[in-house]
Amino acid sequence: MLPAMAKLRISFVFLLYILIKCESANVDSISSDIRLKNVDRLVDISSQLVKITSKITLENTGASPVKNFLIAIEESAKNNVAFVGAKDSNNKDLKLVETTVKGYEYVRFWRVELKDAINSGATPLVTVETVFTKALLPYPTAITQQEDQLVKYIGNLYTYSPYYVTSMKTSVVLNTKSVETFTKVKPFSQQDGMIQYGPYPNLKPFSEKELLIHYKNNAPFLTVTRVERLIEVSHWGNIAVEEVIEIEHTGAKLKGPFSRYDYQQDHHSGPASVRSYKTLLPASASDVYYRDTNGNISTSNMKVKKDSVELDLRPRYPLFGGWRTHYTLGYNVPSYEYLYQSGSDYLLKMRIVDHIFDDMQVDEVVTKIILPEGSTSVKVNLPYPVTRLPDSLHFTYLDTKGRPVISFSKKNIVENHIQDFQLRYTFPRLLMLQEPLLVVGFLFALFLCVIVYVRLDFSIHKSEHPHKE
Amino acid sequence: MTVEVQPKTKLPQLSSDKQLTFIKLAVLSMAAILSFGTRLFSVLRFESVIHEFDPYFNYRTTRYLTEEGFYNFHNWFDDRAWYPLGRIIGGTIYPGLMVTSATLYNIMQFLNITIDIRNVCVFLAPFFSSLTTIVTYLLTKELKVTSGPKTNPNPQKAGKALVHLVFECPWAVWIAYHQDEGAGLVAAAMIAIVPGYISRSVAGSYDNEGIAIFCMLLTYYFWIKAVNTGTILWATMTALAYFYMVSSWGGYVFLINLIPLHVLALMLLGRFSARVYVAYSTLYCVGTILSMQISFVGFQPVQSSEHMLALGTFGLCQLYAFTQYLREHLSPANFELLFKALLTTLLATLGTALVALTLTGKISPWTGRFYSLLDPSYAKNHIPIIASVSEHQPTSWSSFYFDLQVLVFLFPAGLYFCFSKLTDANIFIILYGVLSIYFAGVMVRLMLVLAPVMCIVSGVAASSLLSLHVKDIEPKVEKHEKKKKHENNLVFRSEVGALFVCVLGCLLISYVFHCTWVTSEAYSSPSIVLSARAHDGARIIFDDFREAYTWLKMNTPEDSKVMSWWDYGYQITAMANRTVIVDNNTWNNTHISRVGQAMASTEDKAYEIMRELDVDYVLVIFGGLVGYSSDDINKFLWMVRIGGSTDRGAHIREADYYTPSGEFRVDADGSQTLLNCLMYKMSYYKFGLVYTEGGRPPGFDRVRGAEIGNKDFNLDVLEEAYTTEHWLVRIYKVKPLPNRGV
Repeated sequence: MLPAMAKLRISFVFLLYILIKCESANVDSISSDIRLKNVDRLVDISSQLVKITSKITLENTGASPVKNFLIAIEESAKNNVAFVGAKDSNNKDLKLVETTVKGYEYVRFWRVELKDAINSGATPLVTVETVFTKALLPYPTAITQQEDQLVKYIGNLYTYSPYYVTSMKTSVVLNTKSVETFTKVKPFSQQDGMIQYGPYPNLKPFSEKELLIHYKNNAPFLTVTRVERLIEVSHWGNIAVEEVIEIEHTGAKLKGPFSRYDYQQDHHSGPASVRSYKTLLPASASDVYYRDTNGNISTSNMKVKKDSVELDLRPRYPLFGGWRTHYTLGYNVPSYEYLYQSGSDYLLKMRIVDHIFDDMQVDEVVTKIILPEGSTSVKVNLPYPVTRLPDSLHFTYLDTKGRPVISFSKKNIVENHIQDFQLRYTFPRLLMLQEPLLVVGFLFALFLCVIVYVRLDFSIHKSEHPHKE
Repeated sequence: MTVEVQPKTKLPQLSSDKQLTFIKLAVLSMAAILSFGTRLFSVLRFESVIHEFDPYFNYRTTRYLTEEGFYNFHNWFDDRAWYPLGRIIGGTIYPGLMVTSATLYNIMQFLNITIDIRNVCVFLAPFFSSLTTIVTYLLTKELKVTSGPKTNPNPQKAGKALVHLVFECPWAVWIAYHQDEGAGLVAAAMIAIVPGYISRSVAGSYDNEGIAIFCMLLTYYFWIKAVNTGTILWATMTALAYFYMVSSWGGYVFLINLIPLHVLALMLLGRFSARVYVAYSTLYCVGTILSMQISFVGFQPVQSSEHMLALGTFGLCQLYAFTQYLREHLSPANFELLFKALLTTLLATLGTALVALTLTGKISPWTGRFYSLLDPSYAKNHIPIIASVSEHQPTSWSSFYFDLQVLVFLFPAGLYFCFSKLTDANIFIILYGVLSIYFAGVMVRLMLVLAPVMCIVSGVAASSLLSLHVKDIEPKVEKHEKKKKHENNLVFRSEVGALFVCVLGCLLISYVFHCTWVTSEAYSSPSIVLSARAHDGARIIFDDFREAYTWLKMNTPEDSKVMSWWDYGYQITAMANRTVIVDNNTWNNTHISRVGQAMASTEDKAYEIMRELDVDYVLVIFGGLVGYSSDDINKFLWMVRIGGSTDRGAHIREADYYTPSGEFRVDADGSQTLLNCLMYKMSYYKFGLVYTEGGRPPGFDRVRGAEIGNKDFNLDVLEEAYTTEHWLVRIYKVKPLPNRGV
């Protein structure tokens, strides 16, 4: 019975997956009516991420109104892109769908659905935000403890777009003055940790020119290689969250010895190393624990702030390039903030992934949601596509048939992905009594056995002295 | 106290029998809970963590057992230790502990009680000490030292006495009426908190001894039951308990010598009977066959000299029984002749067989650990590796008092009571007590074996003394009823009685305070996390060990080999999951000696040894910055001694590491050999620059209280890979051979 159900469920998931795939495998064509009148690009490479914010002024040169336009990511960067988002001039999020264009299979495209169609001659403003991970390469790849970390950014000087660009500018934020080399294509200027290029007029579609900046970047280069987030829902008023986190310093590797003496003597020693970082938890988080396989990690501080709980986590050792660490972070939150109920229908609204540190990059997230025993008809609503993993069962205290576990995973995650999922399920309220009744029943049976045992005489022959009474 | 208040109010409703059962159950369960609770200091103060060294090995093997199953565990060849030799784990351990906790774990998993295996391991020893408490009660009750109640205890009297005594001693009333059980309860209450036992069974000290004491007392209990009843059932139970004991601790040898000794003593005292014959013969046959199933024990029960007493006694039992049988059927003259002839032939054959077997090596010679049991100075003179372990040192007088307190004084009194009413069971306890006192005097570690018998005998003493004097108090209460029951020819008899009960009560109360204090101060430190008080009273945690082990685990190649002194071997394999050269299972002296030689040699000599052993990282413990005194420099002389104890290390002489005046100094006056050896350099690398205390020059070692003598040096063949925050653990990477021509 059960395996059949499971099989059915798996095939259903598979079908759903195919459906999602089919939907995303759209084919679009490039409209020649659209032109980008002006593009103002801000490339922020001061952290470990590359965040590109482009303010695009669209123009419809054709006669008919246009409902959507395409964003393209060049081939060299298409594996690094973690997030693409678009907002209109009112700062409202626009809907994006990944798509393809015939003849440009090597390029990744997103189709942005506009709220209002662009009429002929209109010039609306759209802000497109893209975040790239692992696009900054440490160069040299290994440094000693005292050295600064230098990284190379190789990008595109021009806006990569399927449309004709009338004019564009690029500003690169470095937050440092020490730049080894950078691409010099006139007109450009360098000032206060910022390099400005442009304006460059009249660019053809898909135009590329290498932009190389080699500069000092001592920002923490921490990659979370894997997060396993476990959310355990209890109808007794508590939601337990536990995250198993693996972190690696993916900046320039440490070359030669690590000298504790230098590291303690001079606080500027080890500029590229990470001593601690801050994790923000929900404001109602309590009973926080921070440990690894060898026990508690006794070096951390917790500050309760108005809208969050700030943890200052210090790994057991400072993280230098190539060093790794792992830990488990767990806390409880009251369920009334996240769990909504009407009759026997419940709605759980929580984050798919939570903040680990600022400008984080996460290779893989696995989120598992453990629902109370007896929950049925589970429906998940997700803000972006993820890989749904097969459902399973989890057994813990006082369980008889197991708690349903919903899990899904996603690769390449950044802070922009901290969004809520919605999970609906039904849970008959009467089942709340199951666990107390189980305990009561067990104790009752135990006492009954003792009573029966005491009252009955199992001896084969009567003892010589009758019982004193 | 609360126990007494409850029954007092309910006295009229309950029959006396039920009252007694109730009080018995209440006292016993409180003792059991107390023995669990008092062992949790370290969990509350630190966390649920495994302590010290050996427990880490046991924890690692238990984890392996739960993950891989019993057969893989049994066949486990561990390549993480004793590189490049490896170690066959399944055949070289007592699996009782691991199997016990894995079984508990699996049962709980089956019941959906999802407790982590680490927590099972941490709380196993306290759990078993609760069981020990109950077994101690049963065992003491079986002794029947004091005569049982002659009349049915009167609840009214009990009530009055309760009022009278409730402030003096909680058990007094009980004892007055039900003395055997009273002795049992006192003994149970005593063993619940005796520091000598707590020292090896606090939460987190996940070691063989934690369950072995329970097994030992259980075996004794069944044995006494078997001797008292003479049934095969109890004798078989003894054999089963003995099997459990054998599977869990090497100390079973004590047990398998004590029981035959008991049988021998009974024979000599003319108390040998069919009951003893049945009990011992069954125990020996079944127990020996069962114990040989443990692969680490193997054929030792019939080969090694440590087990010969048991075998000999078994043979003697048969002869004795046979002689008795013959005596019944033969005339005295014939019997005499036959007896003499048989005896001489038998002795002659046995003697030659023994000599022949020893010479051919079939019977193993006595191992060093046992010589050191018989002659305390043996180890110090012959085997440095045994002598270097602090728990193998002879016990000092103060530690007897420290670990047993009032029991030391009650013990002789208890022995007196045992002698005054000699039974088969009492002879056993007397033997056990006297022998274990001797062994505890030889080796600190065996205090553990002494503690239970101390509690049992003291329980007997306390309960006998109390019952004697409580009787004296009572006539005062019941004067009006029976005026002339006793002839009161002593004045102030009841006052003296009351005073005595008061004094004993005070002693027992001071015992409770002492035990709690010792437990909390001396035995509840996990030693893997250290804590100290800052000037402002705040607690500072030194978590350097785990910091270093985690660093090793996460940031070194999976197959790297770590060299350290053997003390840290188990911790490195368990917490860092890296291969070690030597570990706490000190089975190969030459291998350890090689490591000692590396540590004691100069850098280039050491490099050769490290290349030979394929070492990638070297780990040393250094306490000079924070004042942690059990670091590697303080252990260094043992490395020198052990290093110099083999042929290849003959060039390492202990005398070279002392100053001409024979001192061990690390400052400028120290010997040049010491100041240039690898251990010194690894410990003090760059330490010469650090200011540790105000008003002292840089490089002041806070443990040795001296400014180090060799400050400015560089390491040629090693590079610092990691040093923990408080410099407690320093890890060095062995550099590869330099390129040619550079």
